Amino acid sequence: MMGAVPSRRIAAAGALALLLAGCGGTAPQETAAKHPDFSGFWMLARAPVEDEVLKAKLSPDAVVLQDTGAPEYGPGDFGGLKLTAKAQEIANAWKIEDDMTVSNTCRIPSIVYAMQGPFPIEIFQGSDLMVLRLEYFDMARVIFFDDRFMKEEEAPHTKVGYSIAHWEGDELVVKTSKLKEATITNNGLFHSDQVRVIERFRLSPDGKQLLSTQEFEDPEMLENKGARFITWNKVEGDHVRAYDCDPSFAENYAN
Amino acid sequence: MHKRNRARRSFVLGAVGLLAATAYAHHSFAVFFDDEKGIVTVRGTVTEFSFRNPHGVIRVDVIENGKKVEWKAETNSPSILERRGWKRDSLKAGDEIILEGWRARDGSRYMRMRKVTKADGTPVGIPFETPVVQ
Repeated sequence: MMGAVPSRRIAAAGALALLLAGCGGTAPQETAAKHPDFSGFWMLARAPVEDEVLKAKLSPDAVVLQDTGAPEYGPGDFGGLKLTAKAQEIANAWKIEDDMTVSNTCRIPSIVYAMQGPFPIEIFQGSDLMVLRLEYFDMARVIFFDDRFMKEEEAPHTKVGYSIAHWEGDELVVKTSKLKEATITNNGLFHSDQVRVIERFRLSPDGKQLLSTQEFEDPEMLENKGARFITWNKVEGDHVRAYDCDPSFAENYAN
Repeated sequence: MHKRNRARRSFVLGAVGLLAATAYAHHSFAVFFDDEKGIVTVRGTVTEFSFRNPHGVIRVDVIENGKKVEWKAETNSPSILERRGWKRDSLKAGDEIILEGWRARDGSRYMRMRKVTKADGTPVGIPFETPVVQ
């Protein structure tokens, strides 16, 4: 794993370089230099910071989940999220055994779950877009600052969705739609492809932490809004590594 | 295989240090492993060590009541292990090890690896002090 760099990683790095290099054209937004630089490698903090600045911007009726990182909810506990009849029916039918099969072992979550998964991220920040790589399942988000590259209505549904960002002072606000159905809490609750997510990111005063909130709403599956605090610690000298999920791992469950 | 009813409560216990592993689409630590009964320890001979995602696996032959049985331990993600000093060849078939971890709720000889020590007392990587992670 630590030997030769796989060719697809080289290709991915090249693609990122091209994307970011292309960011220097006519910039309708302010340049990145006027804003905080989130670039670098970030390891998920064991306990998220409930930053007061970001907290004040959550919807008053959003329930804050307490499952960021390694903690998680057991079956039937959704942290205060209110399920629609459709979501409840799906949750009732959910069995963990179904997740432990060769066909499902490497099924990718959407960013709703993956952003708080206990894995690091790496950010490459340009002026017109930023690329956010997740180590978890080798996911990569391209977050645009305008819709020149793609209109929302043209975007396909994927696990990373379609993200448009803007700056509010030192805060980066990212709005994401076009997400494929996927888990919210890893215990039977799923969001639909109608889910919408708003994320806010800001640096801690010392620049050593990336503070964020994630808020989502999905009227098809949820009667209220959900939110999470997610915090990462800056780590110098490390990079996101390949995940390269191997579904044959599921064979270990069979005795 | 899993005893869901026993886990039908919140496992959001991060504040007290009982951190459950997560990894969507394969399984939930909270449902699958028992972090309340403490650590199970076995001593045996490695027969296989695979270093892959979503988890690595260590297979060991263990003598129980005079009989050879197989234990399996799933590990954290290889990238997480590497950051804690592991390598893909940290264990080889034939190595004598002491293996500690959280046992599967169903009582099978399956655990989530917490700590591995070579027979001479050399630790392999940095152990996990809580049922954390990836």
